[in-house]
Amino acid sequence: MAKLQLKNLYKRYDNKKGKKGSDLNPYAVNNLNLECEDGEFIGILGPSGCGKTTTLRMIAGLEDITDGEIIIGDTVVNKIQPQDRGIGLAFEDYALYPPLTVYENIAFNMRARKVKDDVIKEEIDRIAPLLKIDDLLQMKPGKLSGGQKQRVNMARAIVRKPKLLLLDEPMSHLDGKMRQVLRTEIKRLHNEIQCTTIIVTHDQMEAMSLVDKIAIMKDGELQQYGTPFEVYDNPVNEFVAGFIGEPPMNIMTVEVQKREDGFLFKLQDADILIPAPERYAPVLSDGMMVRLGVRPSDVMIGGASSKGSDVKISVFENLGDEKKISFRVGDGFLTLITTDEKRYQQGDVVKLEVKSEKTHLFDVNTGEKINHNF
Amino acid sequence: MAKIELCNITKRFGSLTALENINIEVKDKEFFVLFGPAGAGKTTILKIIAGIEFPEVGEVKINDKNVNYVEPAKRNVSMVFENYALYPHLSIYDNIASPMRSPLYKKDEEIIKKEVERVSSMLKIDHLLDRLPSQVSNGQRQRTALGRCLVREPNVFLMDEPIAHLDAKLRHFMRAELKEMQSSFDTTTIYVTHDYMEALSLGDRIAIINEGKILQIGTGDEVYLTPANEFVAKFIGEPEINIFDIELVKQGGELYALMLGQESGYKIENDVAKVIEAGGHENLRVGLRGNDLMFSFKQEDASYIEGKVYSVEPIGNKTILVVDVNGQLLRLVAPNDLKANLDAQIFVKIKMERAMFFNADDHNFIYRHNQDELLGVK
Repeated sequence: MAKLQLKNLYKRYDNKKGKKGSDLNPYAVNNLNLECEDGEFIGILGPSGCGKTTTLRMIAGLEDITDGEIIIGDTVVNKIQPQDRGIGLAFEDYALYPPLTVYENIAFNMRARKVKDDVIKEEIDRIAPLLKIDDLLQMKPGKLSGGQKQRVNMARAIVRKPKLLLLDEPMSHLDGKMRQVLRTEIKRLHNEIQCTTIIVTHDQMEAMSLVDKIAIMKDGELQQYGTPFEVYDNPVNEFVAGFIGEPPMNIMTVEVQKREDGFLFKLQDADILIPAPERYAPVLSDGMMVRLGVRPSDVMIGGASSKGSDVKISVFENLGDEKKISFRVGDGFLTLITTDEKRYQQGDVVKLEVKSEKTHLFDVNTGEKINHNF
Repeated sequence: MAKIELCNITKRFGSLTALENINIEVKDKEFFVLFGPAGAGKTTILKIIAGIEFPEVGEVKINDKNVNYVEPAKRNVSMVFENYALYPHLSIYDNIASPMRSPLYKKDEEIIKKEVERVSSMLKIDHLLDRLPSQVSNGQRQRTALGRCLVREPNVFLMDEPIAHLDAKLRHFMRAELKEMQSSFDTTTIYVTHDYMEALSLGDRIAIINEGKILQIGTGDEVYLTPANEFVAKFIGEPEINIFDIELVKQGGELYALMLGQESGYKIENDVAKVIEAGGHENLRVGLRGNDLMFSFKQEDASYIEGKVYSVEPIGNKTILVVDVNGQLLRLVAPNDLKANLDAQIFVKIKMERAMFFNADDHNFIYRHNQDELLGVK
């Protein structure tokens, strides 16, 4: 168990084969700074090609570091061999040895290090119940389900008592249900062993649900680092806003209009007006164009006395406990999610209300959050 | 425009029975969804309708006519594939026109032009006709693929997971797009998916299929609120429904359910009790979705059952809260700002009026409170 620090970390692949746009952005990882406290659970999240797996591989020592430092505990590990870094690794592929039993698969590394049989047994007996594989120890991998294989794979990583546990997309092979169960188990497991853990994933829901803090990356650069609630509630730019949350945040270009009683946002592609909260006033001016973001759960249908704009429902979806309602805006939709039982039809006209306190403002050119707290 | 019927269809691949006695009647202009896990037999059903696979037993009927021995090309069905399969070197116009230039369905260029214009304006891609598929967005590509099917005025559209390969966000958008266009199709559609949200959102009716058998056919409300059995209940909805055993106790003429190791029971609603007693059911299980349970960090009243926080999983606009009650894990939906430590004490209350009752022996659905009202049955 140890603290992990990444300081000004760079990775540049010299043979740029197949790396699209590599002349413009030659770094797979670009000046990454990240700190992970002892015992913390961190997620690195981003679309494919954002540099998250490269980062993980550099921490593990499987990839050379172009520049910068990786510090585990108090030691700079740049020059330390992978096997001496005290790292447990579990990849997306389970890579279990098919002829060996689950028990022998987990024991394999300890056998290689000539650990005594009774110590091995003790260790496996300790780990197996944590991962709920105690009943599977005598089985061969071929008989296991995908979820069980991944548990064995993780047991093998943990049994070495690593300082750092690295998980690379451990659930992306599994179907939805299995993922839900394993997600809960990984969360429990981390609570039990309190080992500093880093998970790499492209699935924002997986990251949100598991970790203490999320690092969101794009094109090799860190976009935001914060708790799941922070990145959800206060995204620093349009990319993070759109990447976190499902269904995704509505982000639309709007024109600011000044009225006697304050500012309004007028949607560019639809006749919808949304009042701006007072706290935005210092950064707004008449005629200004901004990008306005609002989560589907912060959009509502108003009652009879509502002052919201009249809009026509383009799509009504009954998804069980939740209903999703979409309004056509240009090429896209403005979407809301509600647990209200009321049923609507395509074409119904309703009053649209937005919790304006919950809106986000982004710069129309840079996509950066417009800060209104002075 | 057509009515499609499958009667007693059985399909075997060697010793494997892929489909067993399938009976489906799809009404004219209906949007019918085939829903089930991978390997359930959904795509095989589509192929049998298209004529690409041949059933060992049973009849395929289009508009009451047996088409078992009609060639695929002559059945006038139209298939949309997962990857759209557009011709990359042809413009959007030529892609949409392509079926009308095939030897079997050849039309004059004048008619083709009129048709392409009609369909493309309906799908709002009329401004893109000169572009190549690589020059338009994902959504526009899907519209093109649909347009290519629409120009033929087929008997039926067959869609095999047309948006499954997209990421979760794009899927939300494309699903809404499809749904918006639905009303303008005016064509019977059979749609295959393994995503329950697609099934609920798009289907006029849904057939739930597992291991080559139909488990239930019904509207979205029917399969969600009154699933035919535990499998269907578990397969639809997220987080997965909580299902566990209860014990029946009769007290003062009323029926109570003992559960989760508690000494006192929850009263079973009268209409449910009647059905249970009339059916002579003894071994029962209840199903409760994540929203059918309440929680509190203090014991509000005697109906709250003590448990421990097993896991807290924020997923954006809500949090999945997993509670351990005497070894039974319950998944609840909680607000997204919930703060709770693992293993902390917590109390759970069951909304008994929302419980679904299942037979513990065969796992089939029995009844739920106010069932007919929920389904809008008069």
